[in-house]
Amino acid sequence: MEYFIQFSKAFFIFNLVMGFMYILTWLERKQSALMQDRIGANRADILGFRLLGLFHPLADAIKLFTKEDFIPPGGNRLLHTLAPFVAMFFALISFAVIPFGGIYSLGGYSVSLQVLDLNVGLLFVFATMSMGIYGFVLAGWSSNNNYALLGSVRAASQMISYEITMGATIIGVLMIYETLNLQEMVLAQGETLWGWIPKWGIFLQPLGFILFATAAMAETKRVPFDIPEGESEIIGYFVEYSGMKFGMFLATDFIETVLAAALITTLFLGGWQVPFLGSDGFFFSGELWVALSSVTVMFLQVSAFLLKVSVLCVFMMLVRWTLPRFRWDHLMRLGWTIMLPLSILNILITALILLWIR
Amino acid sequence: MAIKQVERDLTFRERIYILEILKALRLTARHLFRNLFVHIAHRFGLLRRLRGGVTYQYPEERRPFSPRLRTLHRLTRRQDGSPRCVACMMCETVCPAHCIYIVGGEHPDPQIEKYPVRFDIDLGLCVFCGYCVEACPEDAIRMDTGKLEFSSYSREGLIHDLQELLSRSTTPPKR
Amino acid sequence: MPSLEINGQSIEVETGSNVLQAAEQLDIHVPRYCYHPGLSVAGSCRMCLVEIEKMPKLAISCHIQAQDGMKVSTESEKVKQARKSMLEFLLVNHPLDCPVCDQSGECDLQNYYMEVGQYDSRFLENKIKRRKAVPIGPHVILDQERCILCTRCTRFCNEISQSNELGVFNRGNRSVIDLAPAKTLDNPYSGNVIDICPVGALTEREFRFQCRVWYLSTQESICNGCSRGCNISIHYNTSLSYKAGGKRVQRLKPRLNPHVNRWWMCDEGRFGYEFIDHNRIESPQLRAVQGKLQTSDWEQVLQEVSTGLKTTLENFGPEGIGVIASPQLSNEELYLIRKIFAESMGVQEIGTRNPWEKEGFEDDFLIRGDKNPNSRGAEELGLNSDVKAILEKAASGKIKILYIFQHNFESPEAQEMLGQAGYVIFQGTNWNKTVEVSNAVLPGATYAEKDGTFTNFEGRLQRFQQALLPLSESKSDIEILSTLARKLGYPVTYLDAEEIFREWWGRTYQELEEFGELLNGQKR
Repeated sequence: MEYFIQFSKAFFIFNLVMGFMYILTWLERKQSALMQDRIGANRADILGFRLLGLFHPLADAIKLFTKEDFIPPGGNRLLHTLAPFVAMFFALISFAVIPFGGIYSLGGYSVSLQVLDLNVGLLFVFATMSMGIYGFVLAGWSSNNNYALLGSVRAASQMISYEITMGATIIGVLMIYETLNLQEMVLAQGETLWGWIPKWGIFLQPLGFILFATAAMAETKRVPFDIPEGESEIIGYFVEYSGMKFGMFLATDFIETVLAAALITTLFLGGWQVPFLGSDGFFFSGELWVALSSVTVMFLQVSAFLLKVSVLCVFMMLVRWTLPRFRWDHLMRLGWTIMLPLSILNILITALILLWIR
Repeated sequence: MAIKQVERDLTFRERIYILEILKALRLTARHLFRNLFVHIAHRFGLLRRLRGGVTYQYPEERRPFSPRLRTLHRLTRRQDGSPRCVACMMCETVCPAHCIYIVGGEHPDPQIEKYPVRFDIDLGLCVFCGYCVEACPEDAIRMDTGKLEFSSYSREGLIHDLQELLSRSTTPPKR
Repeated sequence: MPSLEINGQSIEVETGSNVLQAAEQLDIHVPRYCYHPGLSVAGSCRMCLVEIEKMPKLAISCHIQAQDGMKVSTESEKVKQARKSMLEFLLVNHPLDCPVCDQSGECDLQNYYMEVGQYDSRFLENKIKRRKAVPIGPHVILDQERCILCTRCTRFCNEISQSNELGVFNRGNRSVIDLAPAKTLDNPYSGNVIDICPVGALTEREFRFQCRVWYLSTQESICNGCSRGCNISIHYNTSLSYKAGGKRVQRLKPRLNPHVNRWWMCDEGRFGYEFIDHNRIESPQLRAVQGKLQTSDWEQVLQEVSTGLKTTLENFGPEGIGVIASPQLSNEELYLIRKIFAESMGVQEIGTRNPWEKEGFEDDFLIRGDKNPNSRGAEELGLNSDVKAILEKAASGKIKILYIFQHNFESPEAQEMLGQAGYVIFQGTNWNKTVEVSNAVLPGATYAEKDGTFTNFEGRLQRFQQALLPLSESKSDIEILSTLARKLGYPVTYLDAEEIFREWWGRTYQELEEFGELLNGQKR
């Protein structure tokens, strides 16, 4: 039975991520269109049903599947095929430690809606994200193309520099919640400050939130930090990719977006916490006002998590379609000379405040 | 000519840049939510007059254009249905693309004297300049059909002959 | 020799010339409608009015004789106003026919209007209607509305062709040009009224609606209709091949030559250009053993012809070859024939005159009975053998190979003789009776497609120029003969006709006199 619960949790989160990725592809087109006073793609239909253009990502996938699988002559065949797998695998595996619901007792079992309950969950996430860099480096190198190599080197350097900032920002959060376990961190955010402000990371670490959000966007190579991807400006690391391998890189991009959104919600926005909702119902000032069954609470909390992730995804889309791309040297300067000192300053301030409180 | 250099330094607020980013986000978010609201209202049948986006849903919706736009040619008719053209070759001579081919013939009515036996326009060559319309002394050729879609599967199909050009004009109503 | 001053420039002119001719010598063009240097002076159009000092009113320059000490102004304000007013009067009843009128593009009313016109019409009445598109002769169409009553055509019919077909009828504003009762305009020079009519009242029937005049290119040439050798311009259209059913030559017009044809040409020559585009031999032909002519290519035909000539020469000597050149060929080509056949090969008998060809219609003006343009030229070059004798020898077998240029041997006697002849080579432009009995056919070029000179009946050497490229696969006769000669082993390397002319006559084309050069007894 344990295996069944574990398997169903893994299945659920995997499908959730893939579904989110599909929706994000659609959302990207539609949201960018709405922001630019357009309508976006709405012509792909199945049997006459257009469904607001939701079939366009399906059409894209079919197109990518049917394209020629091309390995550049002189390139390393194994690595060329392996690179997208590596990138996608490590992006997906990071979701194992993200809690999308609390701990409930269902049918006698105490179920924690988190696939892998690690005590060092946060470190695990960072470890896998660092491993994900390998995917891009392999992609650029195995293409037997100078410019692809340069693109992947750029990608690697960008990801490494912003990981440091992420790490430094996390220390602030760590100091406040005193745990690396993500589920416990979300549980800790259920308490309130002065009675009515929930103890979310955003209220306790505003600077940290901004820094982490920016660094996460840079880490996942989202616009405005998408110089490695390049698109219309500069050759990126996937010039020699076509067909579904290229599709997997694109998918990795969206999965990492969801990952960044999920991380931000978990660390700063309270994860699956709904304000004033405990495991039995709504609490105000320590008293039970509305009583709810376990299942209802579960639904509410999971939907809260999904809502927060969605809002963050929309926000990231908004930023993507508003800001122009950073130049690579601007990017590096931003990462090393501005964000790193700020994050260290953040640690210092947090430490001082904590010292003053305790 | 002297060029005046105007130094515009960014203020400190601008240099932080985060406020600028937020202002930009506010602008795009405003567009996003306004359009979203209009689209949702459209689904409920409200606010039909507002457009949610500047897109024209072709082919259901065509982009409106001015009546002066130079579109596909037509040859006009007289009251009795015969073409007004008298094969004077003004349009053939003035055409910068040399896409009009006319052969003239004798008309039985001595008041009219001449009519086109053959009048071909090769639309593969035509640049839609409108010189033929300006040059015609008889108001026989006009480019006001409003049609812009006339693609063909072959090069020969793009050569429109006299009958095809005439068919775009209706015979004027009998008195 | 009175000397006068026109627009500030002095000139001395012949006694008896009028002011208009004096102005023309100074390259000042005075607009006129009724004046024509070849006709009598009418003085009715009043367009050529000029201001002469000390004369109270403007005078017509076409009639006033140039006097010593005259001071003439052709561009003063009074003169310009007079021209404008005259044009206004002429345009009062002139129909708005420019889109359908054939004269459009070369119409004097259009041209002078663009220079000095009123531009804003003051005419509010209705125009008078007259007869339109009336065929008055086999070649001419009359449009009475367009006529401006300059009376050039009536004067022509009275003085030049002396047939008196046209006249002005009625009076005042009802005057019209019309045919005299029970007459049609069928004199042999009727086409000239089309040239002299300044507007589109008299137009050519053959050319009606074929092509607009601004599409035509021109080239100077000599008519090949008869031995008069009238100077003509060939008007042709090669760029728009869909016009006029693909015809290249659209019309012929006469050029001024004061010694030969002045301003005129006859109808036979004017309308005899159809053979240039019609019924041409377009590719070399060889008669197969079974008996039908089959299309072949130049290499093969020339090879066979040259082999035939060579073997005949070796086995039977020059007596086995007979050459019948044509008085339609130019002097250069006849010289080349003489050089190749007579001098190099030694053929004694080269004839040109077709003995069965009867003299055609001749009159005392331009038309000559000899309908070949270069008979005198052939005579001067010495190609005068008897053609009948040559054909008899061919029929009897003494001449094995017969080379005929251009002739159309229709008579049954000639046909019989040709039928019995051995190998017949034909080099010419159109399909005819001789081709039907030939063994090898080489398509040549017409006079419009090559350069050369003709000598007319009085011994005047006149040059004609190439207007068109030879049709389809045909080549100029010089090219064919040169290639043939090289195959036979004679070094013939002329680049063009001018080189042959220079060798024969000693001058270049540029050095020839403008209106043709008389032979004056020189024999080359």
